[in-house]
Amino acid sequence: MTEEPRVGVFVCHCGLNIAGTIDVKKVVEYAKTVPNVADAKEYVFMCSAPGQDLIKEDVKKFHLNRVVVASCSPSMHEPTFRACIAETGLNRYVLEMANIREQCSWVYLDKQKATEAAKDLIRMAVAKARLLEPLEELRVSLEPTSLVLGGGVAGLKACLDLAERGYRLHLIEKLPTLGGNAARLGKLAHVDIRGTEVAGSLISAVVSNPNVTVHVNSELIGLEGSVGAFRAKIRTTPRFVDEKCTLCGECFHVCPIEVPDEYEFGLSKRKAIYLPFKEAYPRIPVIDPEICTQCRECVKVCEPGAIVLDQEGQVVEVVAGAITIATGFQPYEPPEGEYGYKRSEKVLTLFQLERLLDKNGPTGGELKLGESTPRSIAFIMCVGSLVTTKNAHTYCSRMCCASSLKNMLTIKERYPDTEIYAIYKDIRTYGRGDEELYEKTTESLVKFIRFETPPDVKPHSDRVDIEVYDATLQENYLFQVDAVVLSVGMSPSADLDKVRAVVKTGCSPEGFLREAHLKLRPVEAPTDGVFLAGSVTSPKNIIESVMAGGASAAKAAALFAKKEVRIDPITAEVTEEICSGCAICIAMCPYGAISRKEKGEKKVAQVDKALCKACGACVAACPSGAMQQAGFKDIQVMAQVAALSDKRGG
Amino acid sequence: MPLSQISEVDKVSDQFEPKIVLFACNWCTYAAMDLAGTSRMKYPPNFRVIRLMCSGRVDPQFILEAFRDGADGVLVAGCHPGDCHYMEGNYKALRRMILLRRILESLGIEKERLRLEWISAGEAVKFVKAAHEMVGQIKALGPLQLSAQVKV
Repeated sequence: MTEEPRVGVFVCHCGLNIAGTIDVKKVVEYAKTVPNVADAKEYVFMCSAPGQDLIKEDVKKFHLNRVVVASCSPSMHEPTFRACIAETGLNRYVLEMANIREQCSWVYLDKQKATEAAKDLIRMAVAKARLLEPLEELRVSLEPTSLVLGGGVAGLKACLDLAERGYRLHLIEKLPTLGGNAARLGKLAHVDIRGTEVAGSLISAVVSNPNVTVHVNSELIGLEGSVGAFRAKIRTTPRFVDEKCTLCGECFHVCPIEVPDEYEFGLSKRKAIYLPFKEAYPRIPVIDPEICTQCRECVKVCEPGAIVLDQEGQVVEVVAGAITIATGFQPYEPPEGEYGYKRSEKVLTLFQLERLLDKNGPTGGELKLGESTPRSIAFIMCVGSLVTTKNAHTYCSRMCCASSLKNMLTIKERYPDTEIYAIYKDIRTYGRGDEELYEKTTESLVKFIRFETPPDVKPHSDRVDIEVYDATLQENYLFQVDAVVLSVGMSPSADLDKVRAVVKTGCSPEGFLREAHLKLRPVEAPTDGVFLAGSVTSPKNIIESVMAGGASAAKAAALFAKKEVRIDPITAEVTEEICSGCAICIAMCPYGAISRKEKGEKKVAQVDKALCKACGACVAACPSGAMQQAGFKDIQVMAQVAALSDKRGG
Repeated sequence: MPLSQISEVDKVSDQFEPKIVLFACNWCTYAAMDLAGTSRMKYPPNFRVIRLMCSGRVDPQFILEAFRDGADGVLVAGCHPGDCHYMEGNYKALRRMILLRRILESLGIEKERLRLEWISAGEAVKFVKAAHEMVGQIKALGPLQLSAQVKV
């Protein structure tokens, strides 16, 4: 707008709410004398229909090109007055409000001083209004396709619920199989279903849905763009075995390479060519390129010719309107020696115990450590949680109590003579049916010992010695057991930093991803179009993870239903001529909205307006003034500040 | 403070009314001030509010300009640490204010004239308390006397 600013000032009485304290007549007379003010009027209720008509008439009559309304808080009526001036043909953003009610007449007792304050606020508002520019809302059309990172129960549920609503999906899983951590669990608490089966039923529903493209053995390696149109690069590592495989198993026998099986938490060995687990999806073996020596023994025995050692990986690019991060957790890994961990096969974790008790586990469900079945077992609870040790997390992982109790009962059922000790810091059986589980455990004669100082665990070749001070009975116990189970909690996934480097989003002090609002927006990331599901935000059990997956799908569907996103135009923008490309702004932006591009001989900053949330941190940091925030430009705010005193000696 | 007492305070302080520029974050302090208003709380009539989207938008030059243009005090108010609407804008504000205080002192501006407060949208009472405190403090310091050199 190059024309001379002609500002109209409209002062509201708000009945007596304003006029009872502030001398509105005086204020209007004063406003008429402020530079660039072409018209000043008062009205009893400016927001009423006649009040708005007055503004509209005066905009026409006095050829106003900026409007100041001195009334209530902008949070009350800014949208009203923006719509009002838009009807006259003015841009919605050439309005400035002076809050002379909430922040003046209602809080200041002295009428004369309140009137002076109102004059100041109006003068400052006019000073800023003179420099306001018309702004246009940005509209971005939405690609109704979603990316889901992580093929555990949360990701699967997120995927399924969106696919059933008719949206297209790309499900990306870094491992060669879907299912996540839940697929490695045996019989779950309260139901007669195995974790593998819960994951399995979600997997079969997802993979049979034509809207879903599954990318296993894959990672998201690049992400550009923003809500509505993210451009994602997905890299798939080759599997080296194709669909011709009949799962005859000959290749497993001939493969000479053996490593601990990570799917069995190291309880058994797997070959370089292997099927992750019996119910893995896809049910096609995979060759681990890290350890394969290319001896070709497997190729020789493969009758259908399914093994393709020169198979190449691929990178595909897809466009998606939204992303759900559901990359889950990893079990807390105690450092070697913590409670005897890794020093003896008699000390195992809760997750290893789950595998031992599962019918498809390495022992076929038999509780066997080496050759013998332990006759006495001590569960040490809160390992890695509640600051029990130096390396432990501060938080409670929530699922380990119920999970430990469930396993104690399973052992008591199958091996009734087993003696079980539960050495705990606190029992937190908060979930549905969990307290009953606890009661049942006490009835099954599990001995509960509460500790404040963590127990001392010394594994020997034939037994494990435990010394613990019972904080309830205030007695010291020294006893022997055949095995120790460490009830480990949940840690943020080790790969989460890699995910965060690609999808720029914040994390909590504990290292989980942070929600946009802990209570009100629990499945949304602060970045628009990015959703969070499952234990990627905090420890969750299967029920909670599935609920979060469903909730994130609902949020993504609500976004897609809008067809387009509107963006408030008060975003940051760069004057490329001044920008020196120093990149200070890039470090300031918490949304990764700023990048650098080549411009002739130099590099300059560029803002992705769909990612910018309009905080203005980059503007305050820019040393050259090249970065500005529309509606809050340096010159606009400085003009507002400079109008603090009436320079005409008033 | 009961109403009668506050009006007494306002009456006796006729001689010097400081002007305090308040840079308020749209999401917290600005809303807390609106709440103070709708709750009809009272505080001294010395504040001139400039609404910004985040305390992280406060450029130190705004504050220097305010002191040059007649402000006797400047209050920057944002969301509590960890609570920023934009994740970490308030930390950026904090860092800038610490450095700026040193510059202010070298210009002969008492560091008490610049105040930083964390006031959430619900903390109207905290705002009113801070407002009383700050006005009292600035009145005790007296009007800002800038040397002619600084003023130019």
